[in-house]
Amino acid sequence: MIKLTNLTKIYGKLTAVNHINLDVGSGEIFGFLGPNGAGKTTTIRMIAGLLQPTEGTAVIGEYDIQREAIQAKAITGFIPDRPYIYDKLTATEFMHFTASLYDLTDAKNRIIGLLELFGLVDWMDELVENYSHGMKQRLVMASALLHEPRVLVVDEPMVGLDPRGARLVKDIFKDLASKGVTVFMSTHTLEIVEQMCSRVAIINQGNIIAQGSVQDLGRMARMQDSHLEPIFLRLTGGDEVLDS
Amino acid sequence: MLFLLAPRKYAIKNRLHRLKPGDGVKTAFLGLLGLGFWAFMFGISFRVLTYFRTIEGLGDLLAIRLLSMILVVFFSVLVFSNIVTALSTFYLSGELEILHATPIHGEDIYRSKFVETLVDSSWMVLIYGLPVFIAYGVVFKAAAGYYVGLALTVVPFLIIPAGIGIIVTMLLVNAFPARRAKDILVLLGLLFFMAMYILLRLLQPEKLVDPDTFPTLVQYLTAMRGPVSPLLPSFWAAKSLSPLLRGNGGDALFYLLMLWSTALALIVIGEWVCMKIYYRGWSRSQEGRKAPLSRSRAADLFFTLVSSPFRGRLRAIVLKDVKIFFRNTSQWSQLFLLVALIVVYLYSFKLLPLERAAMPSFFLQNLISFLNLGMVGFVVSAVAVRFVFPAVSLEGESFWIIRSSPLSLKQFLWAKFLSSLLPLVILAGILIVISNIFLRVTPFMMTLSVMTVIMMTFGITALGVGLGSVFPRFRYENVAQIPTGFGGIIYMLIAMLFIGTVIILEAWPVYRIFTAQTFGRHIPDSGWVAIVMSFALVVVINLLAVLLPMHVGLRRLREPDS
Repeated sequence: MIKLTNLTKIYGKLTAVNHINLDVGSGEIFGFLGPNGAGKTTTIRMIAGLLQPTEGTAVIGEYDIQREAIQAKAITGFIPDRPYIYDKLTATEFMHFTASLYDLTDAKNRIIGLLELFGLVDWMDELVENYSHGMKQRLVMASALLHEPRVLVVDEPMVGLDPRGARLVKDIFKDLASKGVTVFMSTHTLEIVEQMCSRVAIINQGNIIAQGSVQDLGRMARMQDSHLEPIFLRLTGGDEVLDS
Repeated sequence: MLFLLAPRKYAIKNRLHRLKPGDGVKTAFLGLLGLGFWAFMFGISFRVLTYFRTIEGLGDLLAIRLLSMILVVFFSVLVFSNIVTALSTFYLSGELEILHATPIHGEDIYRSKFVETLVDSSWMVLIYGLPVFIAYGVVFKAAAGYYVGLALTVVPFLIIPAGIGIIVTMLLVNAFPARRAKDILVLLGLLFFMAMYILLRLLQPEKLVDPDTFPTLVQYLTAMRGPVSPLLPSFWAAKSLSPLLRGNGGDALFYLLMLWSTALALIVIGEWVCMKIYYRGWSRSQEGRKAPLSRSRAADLFFTLVSSPFRGRLRAIVLKDVKIFFRNTSQWSQLFLLVALIVVYLYSFKLLPLERAAMPSFFLQNLISFLNLGMVGFVVSAVAVRFVFPAVSLEGESFWIIRSSPLSLKQFLWAKFLSSLLPLVILAGILIVISNIFLRVTPFMMTLSVMTVIMMTFGITALGVGLGSVFPRFRYENVAQIPTGFGGIIYMLIAMLFIGTVIILEAWPVYRIFTAQTFGRHIPDSGWVAIVMSFALVVVINLLAVLLPMHVGLRRLREPDS
């Protein structure tokens, strides 16, 4: 469902993402991990069509995000790491605006349903500027699901969410995956990856250094039966820092 | 306390150290513009003061009275500007959260914020006031003592309004939450500015540069009895400067001491007020607001009505933009300014003494109507730089919503164009039709100017949207920062060039037709061909003015890292 081929992004002298190749299937929850500045957000922004790759392609479903951007974006839902939304709109207005962008007609019931699902109904007529970070994050998620995307691209989904919100999001992602939606998610919360992701890729300094199931990564790091945290630190060189 | 100002110092240093290749040209260009304005201010002051000095007995008195008036205006502007700035520096600035979380004494925060407020709100008045004060020194052939006295006067003269502004702000925020106080201030400020603008316009300041009207001005100034209260710091400043101008010490020292003691006292009182009420106000400033008026049922009806001519995604964009515009006080309140602009513009035409002109009046009226075309173009561009140029930048950090949606950037840009076009066409139409009625122009000229202005409005709008995309500013603290940047200046220059070209291309054929009609001359076929070619070129230029900026803007937005 998501196919990255030699995807590369170079900023001046810095290679942020270096010829990465990934293939994520339908209904898969795919974890995308890496230390700060490794190239996660750059990759995600290229997949969502917000950033043009220097080289390589990203194909969503059957559409190349650069050449068939409109079709690719029509089947993708994007949730950024920072939920910037128009402050002067209410949640309902923002949802209706999003519905128009995706050419959805008669989305009223679905909007109410999603606002209910994300616990925002009591606040739906309040201006977004009065929302907390977590509420904005939930609103962005609700809007990303409005057009029933086949692919969900998520950058740091749990930042700012309370435990109940985090649990809700986990349940929703699992439910979506069971219905065949592909979830591509970058996160620093390794327990979530362990609980939810069927496969994981680790990016470090722009390169994919490992990919596979959590068990596969454990074998690569020679740390079978270990939790993901020590495996991640071993593979990214973070354990040396801790030991020293 | 000084260490708290370090981030600003580093920010300036880093900005200077990291200048990009184009930045030098930008700075030089803006510097030249500033210098031009500086020279203009000096020139006008010099001319008026030189004239005053030629009036026996009364001249010096008039010059000093003018100085007091200038100082009163500066003082009121400074107090207002300090209140607005203090709201940002003391209550709304992003770094405050970090500052309040650290073990810094309240006094240190107060002192550093005082310096920040003082510098931010005074530098412009200082820079543009200097040529006036220097012109006084030059015309009065003042000794070096005047310039030393000037420096010693200006410093407390700037500190006093800063002190007053900060204290007033703290009291205001304790009465209303800071964000609401900001809205109220923005509105009051605009009404204040609008009133000043209309008042100044009705006083016809252009007479200052017309020597024929100087005697009336003198009468006017003489007739104004004691416009300045002796309790105002501007009075003390005038009283400390005037003896130095005349070359005698007089009471300069006394008034200088008045200024300094008041300035220092205000710093201390401000600190005392700050320690008592600042923290409480800052805490309140973070509280949420109730829904504004723009969320009423009537407002909803209005929004639906405004967006009703549009369909689908275009309608969604227009509806969103209109809602955001009317829910942001700093945006919609500028409409007052627009009304003031229209009133003053049309009023100026009503005042034109056309019947007293030497030339055949029908010829002159049409000539002026032609110049009016250019002026309307200018007014529409000035409105567009404020409302259309920022259209793309206003998406701000929420632009990801558009970019990740299946709405193409081309559709998005044309939506911005169409939603801005209609209000501008209405504005241009009102201005040109009413001013032409006042001018009593011929039906031919009326038709031509209405058609030209409407056509030009398409170009002016496209230039605004297009160049706004070439120079986007998605991260801004205040909407007003967007049009006042380098891009805004470039937009105004290109818009002027465009309007000028259209006017020149139309002026020649219209002149030929008029002279032929007035003096009964025959226009040969070759003449008609040239006339038609000229009008055709106008159409081509207008088309280019629409398509080219939109194309360039789109390309810029599509660039990899825009």
